[in-house]
Amino acid sequence: MISFNQFISLFKNPTSRKKILLAVSGMSITVGWFFIGVMGDTFAGDMLMILATVVAGYEIIQKAWLGLKNRQTNIELLVSIAAIGGLSIGIYWESAAVTFLFLLGGWLETRTLQNTRKTLKNLVELVPKTAKVVRGEKTETIPARQVAKDMLVEVKPGGRIPVDGEVESGESSVDESAITGESIPTDKKPGSQVYAGTINQNGRIFVRAGRAGADTTLAKIIERVEEAQDAKAPTQRFIERFARWYTPGIVGLSVISFIFTQNIELAITLLVIGCPGALVISTPISVITGIGRAAKEGILIKGGEYLENAGKISALAFDKTGTLTQGKPRVTEVFSLQPEKVVAGHEEAEPERITEHKVLYWAGIAESGSEHPLAKAILEEARSRQEIPNADTFESHTGFGVSAGYMENKVLVGNRSFMEEWNIRVDKEALQQVEALSEKGRTVVLVAKNGELIGGLGLFDTIRADAPSAIKRLREIGIEELIILTGDTDSTAQSIAGEVGINNVHSRMLPEEKYNVIEKLKADGHRVAMVGDGINDALALTAADIGIAMGAAGTDVAIESADIALMTDDLGKIPEALRLSKLTLRNIHQNVVIALITVAALLVGVFAGEVHMAGGMLIHELSVLLVILNGMRLKWMA
Amino acid sequence: MKTILRSDELNCPSCVNNIESNLNSMEGIENATVKFNSGKIEVEHDPELVTEDDLLAAVQESGYSATVSPF
Repeated sequence: MISFNQFISLFKNPTSRKKILLAVSGMSITVGWFFIGVMGDTFAGDMLMILATVVAGYEIIQKAWLGLKNRQTNIELLVSIAAIGGLSIGIYWESAAVTFLFLLGGWLETRTLQNTRKTLKNLVELVPKTAKVVRGEKTETIPARQVAKDMLVEVKPGGRIPVDGEVESGESSVDESAITGESIPTDKKPGSQVYAGTINQNGRIFVRAGRAGADTTLAKIIERVEEAQDAKAPTQRFIERFARWYTPGIVGLSVISFIFTQNIELAITLLVIGCPGALVISTPISVITGIGRAAKEGILIKGGEYLENAGKISALAFDKTGTLTQGKPRVTEVFSLQPEKVVAGHEEAEPERITEHKVLYWAGIAESGSEHPLAKAILEEARSRQEIPNADTFESHTGFGVSAGYMENKVLVGNRSFMEEWNIRVDKEALQQVEALSEKGRTVVLVAKNGELIGGLGLFDTIRADAPSAIKRLREIGIEELIILTGDTDSTAQSIAGEVGINNVHSRMLPEEKYNVIEKLKADGHRVAMVGDGINDALALTAADIGIAMGAAGTDVAIESADIALMTDDLGKIPEALRLSKLTLRNIHQNVVIALITVAALLVGVFAGEVHMAGGMLIHELSVLLVILNGMRLKWMA
Repeated sequence: MKTILRSDELNCPSCVNNIESNLNSMEGIENATVKFNSGKIEVEHDPELVTEDDLLAAVQESGYSATVSPF
């Protein structure tokens, strides 16, 4: 048995008090029915029902009183009046049921809502409370938010990183799913950026602290998500206006109907169904769940309004080819200009045969000393296929090419005019190859060895591997118009568009021209989203209904300014963000319909004399729970 | 001083009014806002007059449990 003092402290805690009140009133009602139904003792039964009403009504009346003190009429007040009215006209069971169901409904709603809010609570709890700071020879544990910039923090394998910063020493892989929604760990080495709240998996690392506490990326994300959840969606504002009139309207209706019919029971039944419960929670529950789920997948949506807008998107513009490409050139073609000159059957005997492999080999040697992005791409491709020695001598001719010497050989790599300058003959076959590749948007470099052209390479900023599937997915979810707006040349833009599967390409665009294209789409009746980096094309991004920023992790500007910020560069998140928005929008609509139908049905039922106090409260609470559960479906809906 | 409390017990948007007006009627509190969706309670108060425990007690008096949160 618990002592009296323990009971008092349990009773003082709102959470456990609710349970006590529920248990006692529930038991009174059950025993009351037993007396009335089985024993035939109506008096004892009624007494127990009154007890149940008083017990369950305790909190309700308290809240009603508190509201009155603050000059507010609330739902609790309506229920209190109904319950007291019920007791005064002798419908004890109905009064007991109304108060009990109201309390039970509230408790169940709290439980399910807690579950919904958990996503974010988990995020808040991700950040370790303490950090191990290296001070000379030893380490010291201090509160994580007190870590100052440039302090050195030790993170053991399996531990969570307490601050944002840069790896100073050590190597490990880090699970960054809290930030990016990406479950595959990222490899970290000295110089890599790490974020607070992520999990260090297998190696000990020392992190040079950047930002701590409320300034970390994770804290910013949480703040942003909470703001988003609290920002009211247009539907919610509409509903709240409706609800503000609904409750007084029902009270008025109750008074009027009492004056005309003198029927107290009808009047107080109206009060019971005057709670706009399902209506006022219909939108918030979907918004909380939708935004929370998106955040978990690394998609930050700015608020309910943006969620509703994103759900209506019918056109999507990519503000540059860079969003669809890797962002760095790669060797896509290698061609040889000295095809096999050997007699069939003697391949082995011809050591100097120039194969595509050899073209890449010599180009790689020549570029081994260069820092140019194209050189790096060539060298990377060459090294992936064979061992590449370093050139003995090397000279760079900026803007044209490189010349290099290796073991008595002289190699030139560069564009056509570079070759002509060195008196290398560029014949018709070579020119054809160059033109064919240029048309495909490639950057072409030629390779010459010892005064003779041996072949060439085509380089291209290749599309991301996931681009075609992301584009296909966008079409599947009903984005009819997909366009590329880019400052790139026609051939490059066309080539990228062709590979990813977009027909509508606008190349050589200036910022104002991009803006005009967006305005035109809107004039045609489209809701337009635009994918960009949020800084270069601010004009067009503001014109779009929804601005989407990619790879936002670590850049506060993108997190704060974009309507939808994707933490990673994963293109697949764009259709996912729009799909979740559509799902959420549909969910909001379902909830509003459920709530409105319930209210209408209850009103009709009450006036038709079919619905009484207990039944009205039951249906009302069930509709609230139905709306909450429907909203929660968003959490796991595929 | 700004203190942030969190409660995950808010079950209907109208409870917000109760907590808000209860807090705002206390001496030493400049402004209190309750966000229903996130369950965040933000209070601007004078720590000399109103302590964190006072805030928690006031929220409890309105019928809800809360905890103090760093952000």
